[in-house]
Amino acid sequence: MELVELPVPEPKANEAVVKLAASGVNFIDVYVREGRYKAPQPVVLGQEGAGVVTAVGAEVTTVKPGDRVAWVGPYGSYAGYAAVPADKLVPIPAGVTDQQAASAMLQGMTAQYLCHDSFPLKSGQTALVHAAAGGVGLLLVQMAHNIGARVIATVSTDEKAKLAREAGADEVILYTQADFEADTKRLTGGKGVDVVFDSVGKTTFDKGLNVLRPRGMMVLFGGSSGAVPAFDPLVLTQKGSLFLTRPSLTNYVATREELIMRADAVFGMIAAGKLKLRIEHTYPLAEAQRAHRDLEGRKTTGKLLLIP
Amino acid sequence: MKAIRVQHTGGPEVMEVADVPLPQPKPTEAVVKVSVAGVNSIDGQFRDGSLRTPLPFIPGQEGSGVVSAVGAQAKTVKVGDRVAWSGVLGSYAEYVVAPEEHLVPVPAAVSDEQAAAAMMHGLTAHYLVNDAYKLRAGETALVHAAAGGVGLLLVQMARAMGARVIGTASSEEKAKLAREAGADEVIVFTRQDFETEVKRLTGGKGVDVVYDGVGKATFEKNLNVMRSRGMLVLYGMSSGPVPPVDPAKLSEKGSLYMARTTLAHFTATREELLARTRDLFAMIADGKLNVRIAKTYPLTEAAAAHRDMEARKIAGKLLLTP
Repeated sequence: MELVELPVPEPKANEAVVKLAASGVNFIDVYVREGRYKAPQPVVLGQEGAGVVTAVGAEVTTVKPGDRVAWVGPYGSYAGYAAVPADKLVPIPAGVTDQQAASAMLQGMTAQYLCHDSFPLKSGQTALVHAAAGGVGLLLVQMAHNIGARVIATVSTDEKAKLAREAGADEVILYTQADFEADTKRLTGGKGVDVVFDSVGKTTFDKGLNVLRPRGMMVLFGGSSGAVPAFDPLVLTQKGSLFLTRPSLTNYVATREELIMRADAVFGMIAAGKLKLRIEHTYPLAEAQRAHRDLEGRKTTGKLLLIP
Repeated sequence: MKAIRVQHTGGPEVMEVADVPLPQPKPTEAVVKVSVAGVNSIDGQFRDGSLRTPLPFIPGQEGSGVVSAVGAQAKTVKVGDRVAWSGVLGSYAEYVVAPEEHLVPVPAAVSDEQAAAAMMHGLTAHYLVNDAYKLRAGETALVHAAAGGVGLLLVQMARAMGARVIGTASSEEKAKLAREAGADEVIVFTRQDFETEVKRLTGGKGVDVVYDGVGKATFEKNLNVMRSRGMLVLYGMSSGPVPPVDPAKLSEKGSLYMARTTLAHFTATREELLARTRDLFAMIADGKLNVRIAKTYPLTEAAAAHRDMEARKIAGKLLLTP
């Protein structure tokens, strides 16, 4: 990643140019940088940002210069300006800052679709949230708690346990010290949980199936410990007619209506003070390398932002 | 009493007619004089050893009849009650002993044949459309083996809920049955590629849900015919077990869901078993659900019934009468 001087982009007919106020740093950026995910070369990294519209293409009707907007998906947010397809831009309401918006687009909308659509969590149900002090985890715990669900969280350290508890987790399991399978069974009186939200993958998947109630749902939405290997579907029968889904955000913001609905839901929670974002560190754009090193070192628990 | 006995596993010929002692009820059991026993593919799997149970055994999981004796602590049934059951091994006999909580009352408007024929397939179809994936009016369901035992009932229930039903069947004859049951479209998969056809019939959109009791042969293509966030419900494997599944595939094909279900988990409590059965028998009594009984054999011809079932030529339920 090198800092370069580029011309301010001109909008194509369906694009708007956004002057960036903040850009989110995500693991996906690391994968693109490494070449694990393919992108056109050379690429301006960054797929999440917030700022102000400065110019629009001839066919753009949804935003105008001066609008505060945010997006997730299109490349180019590690920059002073980015040209973004206008239908990917969502308006930021007055009660939400640019930094909050840039922090919430990926992880906030992910947490929101997980507990409202992948598994519509209901009051009184019990959810197991792995990596509960992670970026999505902390938001998911808050949303699940606000829905009225009981939240059992897993974390790796005492420090993270504290964060998870502050976010609203009813029970926190330190999986480095205790077996989460045994503890979850104990905490549910042997009944099991209604849903497991799992972004850890390889190391948690099998035991996760063991702690679901009959007809429970495994929502596998990442693989931070490695990909879950292929498994015999009959295991789902044997463990109680279980359900499995492997979602990704793209399919939950596929239409403009759904994108706006979801972003509004998240921004609404932020503005109402019901969703606390944990912005851990902001870096000048020129220090993107340092931000990536910190992210990859896994020492951070909150959101990292770049400020142009 | 007369019963079918299996002393060693194998083909239909291992089922022999035997004289065995009348079963006695334990305190919470009841003995039922069997009127009709249902023949199911699971009976063949126990008979040939692909599912295991201690030998010797009397096959048969499903039937209807009249309670003839009850154990000292039995509370839910009494002598003379008309009852039906599924999941009770030993039904290919004149009498069967069952835990009382497995026995459900049969209303007067439902015949013994209908009750015996509907328990496994009917309850399965019922949980599939109501609980495994709650079908809604206007949605589209793909039902594989739509002229099969579960399939014909599933098609009728899905239609009654206002869903559009696309069925698959192996022959024109079976396609006709599926259409008569209410399927909007039927794909004869021996002549047409179901993936291409389902895409065409849904304008490329895909179906909301796939109900699949076929397994191995249909799995891969199923993933290509669902809408984004659609549901694949696997409830059987008549073509063999589905090979190991890479969960990443569900993501790549559009954040899909899959479930691998079995009836026992959808009738786990007495309340749920009774509620589901009441619903099912009411549909039969009201003429909203037609249970197709293909053939009734004397108990002594159980082997012939299994041969016919395994040749897959007969569409509809096979029954045995002691």
